[in-house]
Amino acid sequence: MPVITISRQHGSLGYEIAQSLSAQLGMELIEREKVIKEWMPEVADKYQLHLLAESPGAYLKKSSGGIVFKEFIEQRLRLFASENPCIIVGLGSQMIFRSDQAALNVRIMASEEKRAERLSRKYKLNTQEALKLINAIDKRHKRYISLLYEADWADPSLYDLTINTDRLSIKNSLEAIQSAAIARGLLSRNFQRSGIPAGPSLSEGSISDSNGTAALTVEQEPSAGTAGEIPEAAPPKNTPHFKHPAETEFAGILDMYGIKWVYEPKTFPVSWDAEGNVTLAISPDFYLPSFDTYIEITTMDQKYVTTKNKKIKRLRELYPGININIVYKKDFASLVSRFGIKILDNAVAQQ
Amino acid sequence: MDTSCIKRIIYTSEELQAKAKALGRQISDDYRGKHPVLISVLKGTLYFLADLTRNIDIPVNIDFMSIGVFSGSAGNSRTGIVRITKDLDTDISGRHVLMVEDIINTGLTMGYLIQNMRARQPADIKICTLLNNPAKRLVSLPIAYTGFESSNSFLVGYGLDYKEEFRHLPYIGEFDESMI
Repeated sequence: MPVITISRQHGSLGYEIAQSLSAQLGMELIEREKVIKEWMPEVADKYQLHLLAESPGAYLKKSSGGIVFKEFIEQRLRLFASENPCIIVGLGSQMIFRSDQAALNVRIMASEEKRAERLSRKYKLNTQEALKLINAIDKRHKRYISLLYEADWADPSLYDLTINTDRLSIKNSLEAIQSAAIARGLLSRNFQRSGIPAGPSLSEGSISDSNGTAALTVEQEPSAGTAGEIPEAAPPKNTPHFKHPAETEFAGILDMYGIKWVYEPKTFPVSWDAEGNVTLAISPDFYLPSFDTYIEITTMDQKYVTTKNKKIKRLRELYPGININIVYKKDFASLVSRFGIKILDNAVAQQ
Repeated sequence: MDTSCIKRIIYTSEELQAKAKALGRQISDDYRGKHPVLISVLKGTLYFLADLTRNIDIPVNIDFMSIGVFSGSAGNSRTGIVRITKDLDTDISGRHVLMVEDIINTGLTMGYLIQNMRARQPADIKICTLLNNPAKRLVSLPIAYTGFESSNSFLVGYGLDYKEEFRHLPYIGEFDESMI
């Protein structure tokens, strides 16, 4: 069956292109989250899954059954691709299907400036913050391919097609990929009507045949993994919808002092998985523009605060210019009792 | 006077005098030729301002402010609103302003004042505080001079009060909160 592998730089629109391609061609999209959640538990325990989510080096370890995790993924991907036309995002799929005649390996990239511009919009970061994020995630991608396959993920010879999305839209990119797949005989010309790719199948673990239907490989745009998808930046609101009563009360206290505030203006990615996909992000509750300060309010119990503290610590490491302060449960209770706000007792009691 | 509710002395009169002297000298050096305006927030800074300014050997102006919390009107605000109850007598436009405070915890009060002062377009604004508790800070402030880093203890004396009492103690002591 045809396989399209997609490798992408962060902020290159690679994941969006992979999703659109999947929907347009009716080819299943395989991404890291599916592999980790649905396939890996067959060979990895909870602790190993944690390591696999964190470190590329963990993929070189053996499972209790004796199989190296990297090899397990390769086998499962080949098996799946032999039975199903699919689009694979990341996972080193450009290496796994590199010599496969039924695969089309695509790389989606864009200039650093363009990617920074997109990430600035998405996460409401300034250019410097966005560039730092790009750099951190690119390093993860590079390390994953380097460590597992001893290759340079930016090496153009690994790909059949490289698309620069600086000036090409998602639609343009889809057309280019489809044209390449048709030219290679991996898709039939009527794929858009039937949704069924044409061409020969991929055999498991090896090159299928010279007319093999392409497997397009696409790397995934960062998704939030276990921490949940990072939401697109919400449009500015005149009246924010606070997620917690404590936030409402805190906004009232800031109003009392006439201190200007903005509710959750930015999302800061703070953690990435082994391949560079964003797995953890934090959106501080308030930003005080007059004082260039973010404030995170927590009315959680101490055991949950530890996790939040780690996130804040990580944010400070990654974005050293950011001023962020935490209002803990005790401080919050003290603050609100100072102003006799009774409802806050309930707010504090929650969570 | 009954001081049984003072658990212990945190800063003696001598320590406070020495700190005021050191800060006064530093401010004199930093502001020489700038003729700053020292703005004090009533009433906690009473003694600190008096000791501090008597150790400054450059020309300065001194002014006072006071703020109060007014309850919300017509029930549409539970938290009320902070307002200036005693404004400056000095025009600070283009002047070098040094805010003098007794203690800064969350920084909300000083944040309010800084915003208000900025609107008057001074040349610059800095802060001198006798006691600073950065662990409780919510608002990033331009604190240039700090006397002591304070803990979360409830402190009284040397201008600090509990229900308007204990301000006139010559030292700063830890108030027994179980008495509250």
